[in-house]
Amino acid sequence: MAEDSLKVHTASIAGVGSELVRYRQLLVSLTWRDIRIRYKQSLLGVAWAVLLPLSMMLIFTFVFTRAIDTSSVLKVNMPYALFAYIGLVPWTFFSQSLTGCVNSLVANRNLVTKVYFPREVFPLSCVGGAFVDFCIAMAVLVGLVAYFHFSGTWTFTPRTTLLFLPVVVAVQIVMSVGIGMMLAMANLFYRDVRQIAGVTIQLLMFVSNVVVPIPQDGSLLGRIIALNPMVPIIGAYRDCVIHGHLPGAGGFIYATVVAFIVLVCGWACFRRASYRFAECI
Amino acid sequence: MTDLVASFSHVSKRFRLGETHDSLRDLIASAGSRLIGRRKESSRSAFWALDDVNFEVRRGEALGIIGPNGAGKSTALKLLAGILLPEKGRIEVNGRLAALIEVGAGFHGDLTGRENVFLNGAILGMDKRDICNKLDAIVAFAGIERFLDMPVKRYSSGMYARLGFAIAAHVDPDILLVDEVLSVGDAVFRLRCIDRMNELLRGGTTLVFVTHNLDQMQSVCQRAVVIDRGKSVFSGPSREAVAHYLKAMSSSYTTRPTDIPSNEQDRADGVALVNLRCLDDADEEIVWARSRQPVRVEVELRVARPIPKAVIELNMRASVNENLLSVNSGRDGSTFNLASGLHRVVLNIPALPLSGGQYFWNLRIWDADSGTAKLDTPFRYPLVLDDGGRTNGVLCIAHDWQHKIETETHVAFPDQQALIAGRIGT
Repeated sequence: MAEDSLKVHTASIAGVGSELVRYRQLLVSLTWRDIRIRYKQSLLGVAWAVLLPLSMMLIFTFVFTRAIDTSSVLKVNMPYALFAYIGLVPWTFFSQSLTGCVNSLVANRNLVTKVYFPREVFPLSCVGGAFVDFCIAMAVLVGLVAYFHFSGTWTFTPRTTLLFLPVVVAVQIVMSVGIGMMLAMANLFYRDVRQIAGVTIQLLMFVSNVVVPIPQDGSLLGRIIALNPMVPIIGAYRDCVIHGHLPGAGGFIYATVVAFIVLVCGWACFRRASYRFAECI
Repeated sequence: MTDLVASFSHVSKRFRLGETHDSLRDLIASAGSRLIGRRKESSRSAFWALDDVNFEVRRGEALGIIGPNGAGKSTALKLLAGILLPEKGRIEVNGRLAALIEVGAGFHGDLTGRENVFLNGAILGMDKRDICNKLDAIVAFAGIERFLDMPVKRYSSGMYARLGFAIAAHVDPDILLVDEVLSVGDAVFRLRCIDRMNELLRGGTTLVFVTHNLDQMQSVCQRAVVIDRGKSVFSGPSREAVAHYLKAMSSSYTTRPTDIPSNEQDRADGVALVNLRCLDDADEEIVWARSRQPVRVEVELRVARPIPKAVIELNMRASVNENLLSVNSGRDGSTFNLASGLHRVVLNIPALPLSGGQYFWNLRIWDADSGTAKLDTPFRYPLVLDDGGRTNGVLCIAHDWQHKIETETHVAFPDQQALIAGRIGT
């Protein structure tokens, strides 16, 4: 039997890290539980991971290309449906991670008050669950690209910049985990956080480059929108998958730095507060 | 390597009563009032659930934690598990720890029994291969083979609890914390749980066991800590701990029947119980007695409407819903003429041959002419019996041991002297 000595209340990052390694099985199990539960008692099951961004894509394609004339704004040099889908899939991953995280501690009150394990497992498993959906939806992107390629109006040339994709995904995960930990913790103390987060995430989808490109005319609005660290990340997906070039260094480095700062701060706050979770929940 | 697997030294835990901000609006409001300088007193709303508690757990032993409701037992367990952090003191744990604070805490209703076994196993720190190996044993222990692939939301509460315990019982941690979970299931299942805990102990697991059931505690634990109102009042052999616990219980009873609502005392039926108390042979009121010591139960009645032929019945129960004792004057062939006024009826019992524990009396008065009950009180009048921890079970009867060697072999039993010496009298 493993004779690992543990002082119950380790506070060092190294201690937490080794604890998390010890509980990785649990992280996998809880992630798997979240996925199972999401698609239990549903006819279409995992297909929803694809249907959700796909239907959003269809809605936005209809609105922006049929219902209203926005050709002056939508200079996207790829089929708009593709533009929307490759923005919506990472965004869905982001928003699903955060809405999961914000509720993760409160929804697992029973576990928080009755069982001990590193509390980080809760937000991490939410991001993990959203990641699985993200991977499925990204796989469908291949089919979508093929469709537009072979239907003739637009040609796709695969480039080696595709290899940069994992870096982009990693930065997004780092940011999601950081924000997710903050939200989970804050919502445990003040339930208002969930409402605020919901509205903010909804708003940010439009004040970003998810469904419309950001105005490049140097206007104030354009510069404010570019402050959102998710903007360079979404842009990076389009750059390295479709356009075949690396994302603009300035924006992407900015997003990466923000992501790591958010993670470190979020995790540190979460750690400090985690000892009070069981009594304050 | 040290022999201590867990220790509590000078541990105190405080909870805040009320005054927690549940929404941001409250926070802003209270921050505002703080700015103005009308700060609410906050130290008054603090409550020390544990106050300077000390105990230690040695490798391979079973430690019981007993105490009245609200004494802080579960808080101690949660601190040990790392769920709560103490305000003061030091807690050390060496080894892999699994806590069973509530059976099936990690169950999810929509998942099947099988899926929940894997999930809960992971929550309790088992790895997947381990769970696969033990799945059959867990399912057999819980007795839910046929329902393994059914969502647990359709389980009966008994099945749910049995599965929860079965998983925890197969975790094989270095230290297992168990909090009052064996009150679930039927008698057979409870016995099986006790067997399993003893089996784990033989396998080298250290056990910390919180319970109200003194019999269960004694059948598993050699040592126990008594916690009363947040303080550890005793730590030592479990049978001495039980005696301390019972004494603590009886001292909390001395403030007893003042909380009886006044309407119970002057009911329309015409008979009211003024007081029911136990006396020793020197006529001193007692709530704590030795088993097999003479006890007198004195009943004081105020009669408003006369009952010429009254039958008085006294029943005694432990915590379960079953009378251990029922004496009825009618069956003894005597009735009482209860005229208007104050009456005192005394029941003399030369000895109560019951094992240690808490017992509660109730009083019934029947009208023998009409056969109707005139008074039926709740079981609320306590008597704590102490047999010095010498017997388990319900009865404490006179007994002694005899032994003689029929055929001699070469194997010696050093414990035989101790067995012969274990006599009991009063």
